[in-house]
Amino acid sequence: MSVVALSELLGATVRDASGAVRGRVREIAVAPQDHPTRIAYLIVRTSGGEWAVPPDALKSAGASVRAANDASQWVRYTPSDGVLLLKRDLLDQQIIDIHGRKVVRVNDVELESTPVNSHLLLNIVSVDVGARGAIRRLSKGLVPSFTLRALLERIPPRVIPWEYVDLLETDPARRVKLKIAYEGLARLHPADIADIVEDLAPAEREAVFETIDEEVAAEALEEIDPDIQVSIVESLDKDRAADIVEEMDPDAAADLLGELREEQSGEILKEMEPEERQEVTQLLEFGEHTAAGRMTTEFVAVPDTASVDDAIDALKTFEGSREALATIYLTGAGRKLMGAVPLVKIAISPPTLQLAELSESFVACARDTPQSEVAALFDKYNLITLAVVDEHGRLAGIITADDVITMLRHSH
Amino acid sequence: MALLRGWRTRLALVLAVVGPGFITANVDNDAGGIATYSVAGAQFGYTLLWTMIPITIALVIVQEMSSRMGAVTGKGLSDLIREEFGLRATFILMLALVVTNFGNVASEFAGIASSFEVWGASQYVVVRIAASKYVVVPIAALAVWGLVVHGTYNSVEKVFLSASAFYICYIVSGVLAHPDWKAAALSTVTRPESAGFRNYGYLSMIIGLAGTTIAPWMQFYLQASIVEKGVTARQYKASRLDVIVGCIFAAVVAWFIVVACAATLHTAGMYDIKNGVEAGEALRPLAGEYAYLLFSAGLFNASLFAACILPISTAYAVCEGLGFESGLDKRFEEAPAFYWLYTALIVFGAGVVLIPRFPLFRVMVLSQVVNGVLLPFVLVFVILLVNDRELMGSYTNSKWYNVVSWLTVAIMIALTIAMVVAQARG
Repeated sequence: MSVVALSELLGATVRDASGAVRGRVREIAVAPQDHPTRIAYLIVRTSGGEWAVPPDALKSAGASVRAANDASQWVRYTPSDGVLLLKRDLLDQQIIDIHGRKVVRVNDVELESTPVNSHLLLNIVSVDVGARGAIRRLSKGLVPSFTLRALLERIPPRVIPWEYVDLLETDPARRVKLKIAYEGLARLHPADIADIVEDLAPAEREAVFETIDEEVAAEALEEIDPDIQVSIVESLDKDRAADIVEEMDPDAAADLLGELREEQSGEILKEMEPEERQEVTQLLEFGEHTAAGRMTTEFVAVPDTASVDDAIDALKTFEGSREALATIYLTGAGRKLMGAVPLVKIAISPPTLQLAELSESFVACARDTPQSEVAALFDKYNLITLAVVDEHGRLAGIITADDVITMLRHSH
Repeated sequence: MALLRGWRTRLALVLAVVGPGFITANVDNDAGGIATYSVAGAQFGYTLLWTMIPITIALVIVQEMSSRMGAVTGKGLSDLIREEFGLRATFILMLALVVTNFGNVASEFAGIASSFEVWGASQYVVVRIAASKYVVVPIAALAVWGLVVHGTYNSVEKVFLSASAFYICYIVSGVLAHPDWKAAALSTVTRPESAGFRNYGYLSMIIGLAGTTIAPWMQFYLQASIVEKGVTARQYKASRLDVIVGCIFAAVVAWFIVVACAATLHTAGMYDIKNGVEAGEALRPLAGEYAYLLFSAGLFNASLFAACILPISTAYAVCEGLGFESGLDKRFEEAPAFYWLYTALIVFGAGVVLIPRFPLFRVMVLSQVVNGVLLPFVLVFVILLVNDRELMGSYTNSKWYNVVSWLTVAIMIALTIAMVVAQARG
């Protein structure tokens, strides 16, 4: 078992079983669908064309390569999208170092060569991102190989094990074929993902956000610089963007959509689930620090012609928070707010009584009422819930006392 | 008050649309630029004005390619060179860039030293000491290092940029000097006499003019700025306009510096200017006896502006190309190569200027000749990359665009060879 560097293998002379030099190594291919680390074949360039020579037809691989069979038995190389070509796709390219949580550039790739029976197994073990790989490549052919090896041994290695490497591939079809899923990246803390993504080129950012889990994407997106957020969301297709924005914190989602061009944010909103959409729309329209930004749209409202019994039925089917149950609202034609009945009064009244008779004078505010005024209303009228109405007097939502406590604590 | 406010709003509006292209072109008129244009005008009068139109066309084309590449790929120039041409090519190019930009940084500090030279003749010892380069240059070096590392640079960038309005002085002075407009205009558009091309001084001055106007660091800096600004292929049209306007502005200023110097210094027989005091004479028609003060204020601003940009942009380009950690958001231990390179460029760039009897003006011009020698090599990479379909998609060069850019490369190489031959012959 020995370690051989990609840069040593590239350009190495290839002899076949007869001992004659047939050509040189041009590329090294891995087929991730067959095996994630195993070398599938070397591409050998000869005067007669290019050949794919698999490691099980090799006797040795190093500064020179020796095949176990005759050149006449080699198979012609045909380009394929599904293989990773180490020189083209890996050497000098940027990769994500999951362990070190950053983007780094590949100086060399280390392969492990294991003799099995009479042939070889070649596996990728790590990528070299330090000075050792760089100096090896810079001095290749200029310094005698034994001097070079002695020199390189004194340089501490900086390598990343292959399992901690995530490749960057911008072509979605190829990403599938090469089985690139950014699983390692997705396991990192969202703040680390954000840092990494900020270091990438726009097309690579798009690739990452197209691929990783929506929830992870949403959390990472919240941590990213606003300008970059916008360019990422603009680059994604609308479905995908909506899926990610849905998972975001409504405040952050509203901030982001507010930065987009109107037609774009409109398209994304259209693709979102109704519930998340409504929440974000209100935040977008009125801002976070208004009644509309603080209210919930889950409340109990019954027609003003309903009886106590109807109200109890409505309570039974209500799925929102318990705080919202404190008041039952009465609406008239066109959902216009007509009255409010405290839960206590319903509990002590006969089932057939009309709710309209129980209705008290109620307090309501407009959607754009600043949150400081909302707090003042709660204080003045000793409210448990406050109705929020739109410009036509229709009930848009309610604010509950616990929301106000949170709000007050945050503003201090 | 209302007037002041109106003026300020207008300035803010102008600065808001000023983009990377305009800033790059402005930084381009740095110490080396002012010195080279001044010497060209003083030494050769109007006879080098013919270079301005071809140089401007080449400048626009080169800068446009760099910014297009930044917008389409979202990557820096040294990143792309590394990814497409491998480690060895990148390493050699980065080495050349460091050496060349070391010369440029030295020339900026030489410009700073030069802008204080007039005080060296003061009758007060204190003034003479305070204005001597041994005091001025280390303070400037420290200021540059601190401004950039502590992130205060971004807030002063607009001050530098506004102060570059100083270049308008050359336009005014050029007019007031009553130059021979007909001769100046004619020599701008007519073919040069071939006799000059056997002269080493003439050839190296052409290379210097091209090298200072189309400096290699500009391609790296502009592309990086476009990427950092997040310009995409779709918004690219606005950036192109910014680049073209910036380049033309830089070229007009250059033309007037040459004309102003030709009409004043050359006419007065001051062919060989050795320092800022002499170069400042070109502004005499405008500022009279204060000409030198005006000149040194402008030179000081231009030098300090470029001194802030050059070392940091070099450190970014080199570290990104070679794969070292880079960025001012990193701590020293996280990105040692980046900070060391940045610091070394400033320390050594400022350090060489402190050598006694250091020929300030000669070095400012010479560093621009080195720029001109490196330029074609950087351009070859730019042209090859911008024509790569896999990278650029439908944004590759058109045919005539390639003809002009390859022509620029060929001419720059031919001029360099001719210069070396002319020098060898003495």
